[in-house]
Amino acid sequence: MAPPAQLANCVRGTFRASSFRPTLWRQRCLYHSYEYSQPPPFPPAEAAILSSAISHVPAFGFTLDALKLGARDAGYLDVSTNLLPRGVFDLVNYHLVMQRLALKDSVQFPTEAEQGTGKKIGIGAKVRTLTLARLRANEPVIHRWQEALAIMAQPSYAPPSFAELAKLADEIWFLAGDTSVDTSWYTKRASLSAIYSATEVFMTQDTSKNFAETEQFLDARLEDVRKFGGFLGALGEWADFTGHSAVNVLRSKGLRI
Amino acid sequence: MPPVLLSTRPLARAARCHPHYPVLDFLAPRTIPHALHQKSRIHSTPPLDALANAANPGTKPPLTPSQRDFLDSALRVNQAGELAAVLIYSAQTPPLVRSHPHLRPLMQHMYDQEAGHFRIFNSLLAKHRVRPTLMYPVWHAAATALGWGTAVMGREAAMACTEAVETEIGGHYNEQVRVLLEWADKLDGRGELGDELRALIGELRRIRDEELEHLDHAVMNDSKDARPYELLTNVIRGGCRTAIWISEKV
Repeated sequence: MAPPAQLANCVRGTFRASSFRPTLWRQRCLYHSYEYSQPPPFPPAEAAILSSAISHVPAFGFTLDALKLGARDAGYLDVSTNLLPRGVFDLVNYHLVMQRLALKDSVQFPTEAEQGTGKKIGIGAKVRTLTLARLRANEPVIHRWQEALAIMAQPSYAPPSFAELAKLADEIWFLAGDTSVDTSWYTKRASLSAIYSATEVFMTQDTSKNFAETEQFLDARLEDVRKFGGFLGALGEWADFTGHSAVNVLRSKGLRI
Repeated sequence: MPPVLLSTRPLARAARCHPHYPVLDFLAPRTIPHALHQKSRIHSTPPLDALANAANPGTKPPLTPSQRDFLDSALRVNQAGELAAVLIYSAQTPPLVRSHPHLRPLMQHMYDQEAGHFRIFNSLLAKHRVRPTLMYPVWHAAATALGWGTAVMGREAAMACTEAVETEIGGHYNEQVRVLLEWADKLDGRGELGDELRALIGELRRIRDEELEHLDHAVMNDSKDARPYELLTNVIRGGCRTAIWISEKV
């Protein structure tokens, strides 16, 4: 084999041997099949304990007490909470995961046929609806949510919390019908994650009727992103156009490029 | 773990679908138990024409995490590869066709086929919720530079670039088809092979054949006469392999 090919093979072998992917990353990037079922998000015993514990959160907060009462309700011993190695974070995580998975069923958009000749709901409007739906799903526990945010901010639980936030942003864009698969895939999810988490924090101190101020806050953030995104898009188009025109003019002058 | 999960799937499903606390539906804000509220909903078509899938969501046993991992990175790399191919051809065409106008139909034909492949992988990525590679803008720039660079080097160099890229891509698709056929054999034995995988294997085979056809066109158009042939093809093939490895991970 010629030297460059040998080198390429050797380097490739090294890369393969040291191929390391953090477990977190692996869990995020998974192919979604329509014919093969998805594995359930939680093992059965943990799911039973956590689902009962969640109902105690409004009264007891995201605490071990809620977990113990949940274990008791589910018919397990108090000590069964040791099944949950991350303790109260597992309870917060359960709430996050279940509310994310519930979005698909809790928000339905009318089909083309049902809408008739009325104005089609745009993807932006769908994203707004889905984000508000997810925020409202926090309402039963909103008075305990600052506690949950504090738990999520702990250094060992921050990475899984970010992962859940990213999954939520992905879920919202997917349910809104977004089909982009270029760099905007990342920018859309990053901006939505930032907007969602800011609005969630705002909601914890919102005392207005029916969280009207939270809705306004969300609308203002979405408007900001729309304006900024619009500006960047226009700038990109202009740069693209100018570049292509310059090259074409030079070519028409006979420059061999 | 998987066998335990499978046997208690109904329990897990029940736990998932019926949270034990009131859920406020944004569209009709009132506190009622989630299970009751389900009945009064208007059902509609979820996005991406997944109506049939939603009505009958995944009845076969789940794919293993390593299988989903493989499909995820395979589709991501394929999309990145087709992006690069489309850009290489569109960057090569203007300089090449200026000096060799008779190559226009060939370049157009190859570009059209690559654009078709790109569309297919874009739709597969969107449908199966696979994320595109983070290196998308880097590959965009690199492929444009490669196409333009080899085209100004000359017709033979451009064809040598096509030959090198298509050799790597053909081998890469072949490997994927081989792995998927192995899975298909095992799943068929259990009676679990569905249209999804079958269609994917069929598409990959067709695309691989078209890529190898481009390879043949490149060789027929004097790619082997490029100077320096060995250096050019080995550098490009090495670059392709590196790009494939990176796109699988990132």
